[in-house]
Amino acid sequence: MPEEQEIILKIENLSRTYTQGKIPVHALRCACISVRKGELLAIMGPSGSGKSTLLALVGTLEKASGGTAVLDGTDLTKVPEKLLPRVRREKIGFVFQHYNLIPTLSALENVELAMRFSGVPKKERKQRAKVLLEELGLGERLDHKPTELSGGEQQRVSIARALANNPALILADEPTGEVDSKTRDSIIRIFKELSTKGQTIIVVTHDPEVAKECTRVLRITDGMIKD
Amino acid sequence: MLDLIIRNITNRKVRSALTICGIALGIFAVIVMGAMSENFHQTFERSMSVTSDKIRVFAESGVFGGGLTDNKVSDVLRVAGVKDAYGLLMTTFDEDKMGMTGKQILGVPPEKSSVALYPVELKAGRYLNPGDSYHVVVGNNIKREYELQVGSKFEIHDKYFTVVGILDYTGSIFDNAVIIPLKTAQDLYNVGDSVSYIFAVPDERVDAEMLSKRIELSVKGTSTLSPGELEVQARQSFMIFSVITISSGLLAAIIGGLCVMNTMLMSVAERTREFGILKAMGAETRDILLLTLGEASCMGLFGGVLGILVGVGSVFIMNTWLAKTRIVLFLITPRLLVIAMLFALLIGALSGLYPAYRASKMSPMEALKHA
Repeated sequence: MPEEQEIILKIENLSRTYTQGKIPVHALRCACISVRKGELLAIMGPSGSGKSTLLALVGTLEKASGGTAVLDGTDLTKVPEKLLPRVRREKIGFVFQHYNLIPTLSALENVELAMRFSGVPKKERKQRAKVLLEELGLGERLDHKPTELSGGEQQRVSIARALANNPALILADEPTGEVDSKTRDSIIRIFKELSTKGQTIIVVTHDPEVAKECTRVLRITDGMIKD
Repeated sequence: MLDLIIRNITNRKVRSALTICGIALGIFAVIVMGAMSENFHQTFERSMSVTSDKIRVFAESGVFGGGLTDNKVSDVLRVAGVKDAYGLLMTTFDEDKMGMTGKQILGVPPEKSSVALYPVELKAGRYLNPGDSYHVVVGNNIKREYELQVGSKFEIHDKYFTVVGILDYTGSIFDNAVIIPLKTAQDLYNVGDSVSYIFAVPDERVDAEMLSKRIELSVKGTSTLSPGELEVQARQSFMIFSVITISSGLLAAIIGGLCVMNTMLMSVAERTREFGILKAMGAETRDILLLTLGEASCMGLFGGVLGILVGVGSVFIMNTWLAKTRIVLFLITPRLLVIAMLFALLIGALSGLYPAYRASKMSPMEALKHA
């Protein structure tokens, strides 16, 4: 298979500038990255360096000031505002540092919710959510609410939710930031297994232990990426 | 989506319950006030239908001004186009209660009693006949209250009358009427040959409005109220009453709506992060709108149903209690129920509009940053 076809995300000169008062702040400057399918990419850098901005731009949660980001054949910077939710549903899965599960829903319902917006029939989404949670070792915790789950368990529910719609890319923002080292290792293990199966994952992390398990590490400082 | 909406409502039990109670209270007020208005409306419409063919002739000084006597009847009768005319004496039955019970004594010439009461039909007995004196025809509510039947004795102003007829139920003022011979009424109340007003029946080919003017010009010291004028006057009074009753109910319901808006704004503010998560998961703007608006509308629906149930129940209890005193004050109609329900839904939806708009317009990134 030619190498170009394996690239799932191609970012060129992606930048984000916003103003603070009247002063322009360059949160991200001319980022250029290519990510291959199945890659587990770590992005490291100090706080405020632009890691989360990069993730937000690729995740279409923020609008880029310039450049392009082509994910699975779609230039995310050119997608009209109205169609962005569809792109998020179909191509991107999010894993957040604080899990961001809906507190009123059970683990199963949280995973199901992602598929609800895609119009997956109830029976099918229930079945898929169950399979995903079982694969992540939460078969016994399906009906538990987030408050009844440990941090590690909540993060695994969050990973299952990110996987629910078979996204081209999973964006994980400090996924091990809130868990102990044992749980961190189990989360890294899950990511590695998913990567082996062809799932592309970008992980923003401060933790060198997480980074060293990834297939590639990018460092970002003052909005500039260094390979 | 409905399961998520219901879950959001039930998840904040106390707050949702209080909000629903707020709406229910408003709708309760709409039902009670509306039922009062509906009852007056029905009585008005039916009363109009049984008296709308006659011209009322009053003394220039008004009904209570006096000055209208039996001899004016012949003057009215002489006016071209008048088919029939007769005087009536009208006074309150419960003088000590200032007429608040709505019962009325109607002194009617016995030979005209069937004409005067037309098209009200008899349920039992007969109308008054010439030669009757201490004889009475009673409306259906009077019959029920005093448990009367033909042949019963009925006390009016310390005199005993024999019930000769009982009127069918009409839903009009005639249900509360006590009809006695005019002469007896004039003697009983010591008013000489005075009458309250004269009913002039127009000839079939004559325009009642024109005839009304003609009577006023021909019979000195009188003023008239044509069927058309009477209807206009009565409708105006009815409208004012309706506006007062309905608007007080609506005001209460609007306060209920503000309750929903407050609750929804709080709920949206608390769930900012949740909306961010939903958007990150690919929820469309319409999904967020549907969730928020659905929640507000559901609270409107629950509040509406509760308000209607409590309102209808209360009206039933009040009507049952008032039935002992013969006063019918409330009438629940399908129209009222539909209006109350639609109003509850409308208030819920309108109150949820702004919070829903705010929720749907949130930037997902900003929402996710929200603590």
